[in-house]
Amino acid sequence: MAEFTLDCLGEACPVPLMKTEKKMSELSVGDVLVVSIDHSCAMKNVPEWARKQGHNVEIEEVDDGEWEIVIEKAK
Amino acid sequence: MKEFFIKLGDHPIYKKLLKEPLTYVAGAVLLSVFQIAHFTVFGKGWGVTSTFAVWGTWVYNALGGNAGSWAYYASEKMQQELHTSFLADGGSIRNLGIIFGALAATLFASQFKIKKIKTLRQVVAAILGGLLMGYGARLANGCNIGALFTAIASFSLSGWVFGAFLLVGAFIGSKLLAKYFM
Repeated sequence: MAEFTLDCLGEACPVPLMKTEKKMSELSVGDVLVVSIDHSCAMKNVPEWARKQGHNVEIEEVDDGEWEIVIEKAK
Repeated sequence: MKEFFIKLGDHPIYKKLLKEPLTYVAGAVLLSVFQIAHFTVFGKGWGVTSTFAVWGTWVYNALGGNAGSWAYYASEKMQQELHTSFLADGGSIRNLGIIFGALAATLFASQFKIKKIKTLRQVVAAILGGLLMGYGARLANGCNIGALFTAIASFSLSGWVFGAFLLVGAFIGSKLLAKYFM
């Protein structure tokens, strides 16, 4: 049940999604990954990908134009 | 006053329309409606990058060049482009409108942020990518708007050919991204 972070601030699509995919494959079930992003289209495609994979996803708006996507690996 | 705006920002309709991203279908429908309107009003399809060539020529001519004799500017319509001014040129205003519209949209959503540059690699990639896109768009006689979107909407086969090679380019681009940015 470890928690990991991934800093994707200042990174444009599709880099945040590619980094998230790679990092998620290294995690074990039950682990949580917090992805920091400031690119609004990553706020759409990262959660979409994660939900399609069956993970639990939550989005938090931490500041103007800045988000944290919390992904819990479900399988 | 501040409370009013905080309340407005939390209003579900405001959130739905201005803060949350539109669905792909909603975006596609809006693009179609607007491009039909563009075609109806101006009698020509929507394009972006032809204007870039005109801007480049203005600079070139201002520095003492003479692009007016080029085949590209042979037609009467293109000759006019050489002598019009920025604010009288529909293409220039439309391109500025895209930038101002995007700025207004992020401000309405309170998502405006000046992003930090992370690495020098990003800068190099952005400049190289921009130059290649601009150069390619002129060689192909359009970008993903003029040569893809508008061409397909005009039942032109060239749009589909452009689209096929766009996928090839995206494939190569994503391989390069994975190699240099992961």
